[in-house]
Amino acid sequence: MNILEVRNLKKSFGSIQAVKDISFSVEEGEIFTIIGPNGAGKTTTLEMIEGLVTPDHGEIQFGELNWNKHTITIKKKIGVQPQSSAMFDLLSPEENLNLFATFYDKARSTEEILKLVNLTEHRVNQVKKLSGGQRQRLAIGLAMISDPDIVFLDEPTTGLDPQARRNVWEIILELKKLGKTTILTTHYMEEAEKLSDRVCIVDQGLVVTLDSPSALIEKLTNEREVRLSFLDGEKAAQDAELFASALDSVTRTEREGTALKLWTIKPEDLLFDLFKFTKDKEYQVEQVSIREMSLEDVFIAYTGKEWRD
Amino acid sequence: MNNLKQFKQMFLAQLKLTLREKQAWFWGIFFPVILMVIFMTIFGGRSNDDFSTKVAIVNESSNETSAVMAKQLRQIPIIEVSQKDPISEKKAKVLVKEKEVDAAIVLPESAKATSIKLIVNKENEQSVSTQVVAGVLNQFIQQANLQAVGAAPTFEQQFETISSGSSELEYTDFLLTGMIALSIAQGGLFGMVDLVDMRRKGLIKRLRMTPAKMGIFGLSDMVMRLLFSTIQIILLSLIGVFVFGANLFINFPSLLLVFLMGALSFNGIGYLISSFSNTNEAYMGVANIVSFLMMFVSGIFFPVETMPDWLQPVSNILPLTYFADGLRDSMVYNTSILSTPLWYGFCIMLLWGGIAFIIGSLLYKRKSIVSVR
Repeated sequence: MNILEVRNLKKSFGSIQAVKDISFSVEEGEIFTIIGPNGAGKTTTLEMIEGLVTPDHGEIQFGELNWNKHTITIKKKIGVQPQSSAMFDLLSPEENLNLFATFYDKARSTEEILKLVNLTEHRVNQVKKLSGGQRQRLAIGLAMISDPDIVFLDEPTTGLDPQARRNVWEIILELKKLGKTTILTTHYMEEAEKLSDRVCIVDQGLVVTLDSPSALIEKLTNEREVRLSFLDGEKAAQDAELFASALDSVTRTEREGTALKLWTIKPEDLLFDLFKFTKDKEYQVEQVSIREMSLEDVFIAYTGKEWRD
Repeated sequence: MNNLKQFKQMFLAQLKLTLREKQAWFWGIFFPVILMVIFMTIFGGRSNDDFSTKVAIVNESSNETSAVMAKQLRQIPIIEVSQKDPISEKKAKVLVKEKEVDAAIVLPESAKATSIKLIVNKENEQSVSTQVVAGVLNQFIQQANLQAVGAAPTFEQQFETISSGSSELEYTDFLLTGMIALSIAQGGLFGMVDLVDMRRKGLIKRLRMTPAKMGIFGLSDMVMRLLFSTIQIILLSLIGVFVFGANLFINFPSLLLVFLMGALSFNGIGYLISSFSNTNEAYMGVANIVSFLMMFVSGIFFPVETMPDWLQPVSNILPLTYFADGLRDSMVYNTSILSTPLWYGFCIMLLWGGIAFIIGSLLYKRKSIVSVR
């Protein structure tokens, strides 16, 4: 079931067309990630969905609800963690949560949220004294205080150290377990690949592609890179290269000393044939690996842009 | 019911934010107090009642006339005779030279002699004390002359001071009410920097994403500001009254209205400044210029009437002039809430605050569209 439906969104600021045409739908309970280079229109798209910016054109439907008629109802259904983790710096996490709780008719207990985002220990410290990761966790907590059905997380891990990022990932996966729908934007491919059920790649205000991370990688290419290295010197590697290049499934080979790289659309068959060959010749092989394509490769293939953090 | 709960929580949050903001306490409370103490110590010490001048009386050959005159001179309140017994002219000249006394009066040498001599230091020839002593002495001589010919004076001068209220306005009162006006005005002018800060941090946007009622948020903010200004009024008044002996005759309904009008007016102007300032620094720069200009032409430290004529029309359109006047009327003169000048002032303040608020709102509205990328 679609909990959110976005159709043909367009938005210009002056002469700049930030969002040209974006459509997608989000299913209930999934983690839906929007990635794209800087200036691709991610934040504008999110802000239109969050009701902060009015689209020039297009529709946003939360089930039966839309912003024109059901502003307050939608605000109660969504929880937002904006990119700038905006909160009252002179108040403690507990006071911030208590204050935000009064904005809603039904709110989860502050205690529960503090536990969810692992800030129980820091509940009374002023926010300005918290670390970047703690602030970010509190921002997610504030988005969760109303027990929303849909949570928007705009780059929740940008600027955090690896440990803090992992903590945030745990919280996001925890939200999924609670049955929440999460709409995420991120700068980190690894994060998108690890967390998302589906990924939407946006570039220059348009949706470039949309699918699950594994399907996207699958779609991109069936080719795999197989790496081997030989213990019996260059001669063995040379023989193996000759043998492999004769096989139908191998598209390309590359050798550097005793290290051999082979590209194939059928890695299992290749390895089967290759090991038969080396066994006959009594060549010893070490370090066999098949490199998986990553979402980053997909990103580069679609946008033609190097990924920069 | 829910609105009330929201207001209560928002107000509590505002209270905590203000209490924890050290800058607010420094500029809102500590700074005006220090400024007032400095000004009152420098300018408030000498009030007209205490004016007196030190005089030595020379009566070298005591005679009937001179004895009577010496006695009468001693009774003039502003003349303080330095020696109990009359001294020689030579000694008096030394005293004048060394500025031990402001002047020496040489009484007639005999009952027949007709001259009374006044000796002053050349340096002090134009000073106020010299003028006063000369004037008093002149009057004194005329009286003596009249008495000598046995005539009663045909005309006499009568002198009376009037003031529109129940008490006379002394400089201490003037300065105290001026300082209160200034600190409340500055509270409004500078206080709205919070809005710039909140906008810069995206906090306003964040609140707009919740069903929170921004009107209630603004109201709780305003109530907090009024509370803070009330603390300013009470504290400054207490120091003024108990440390510097200011006299207050407060008309509470008038004061309440003046206070509300002034606070709203300057908060309105602060709101306008916040609407076009993108950084805290830009805001503070503008607020400083506005506050500095108003401070000196609005009759805070010195009456508007003492300023050059060409500058007075400027004072007459500034809201701070009317706020300070309104506070003087309601705190010192016990002016009734029905007074016309008071309402004239309200109108000016309301006009400033209202126009500033409307322009500010329009700029904010435009900004909310532009600021989002």
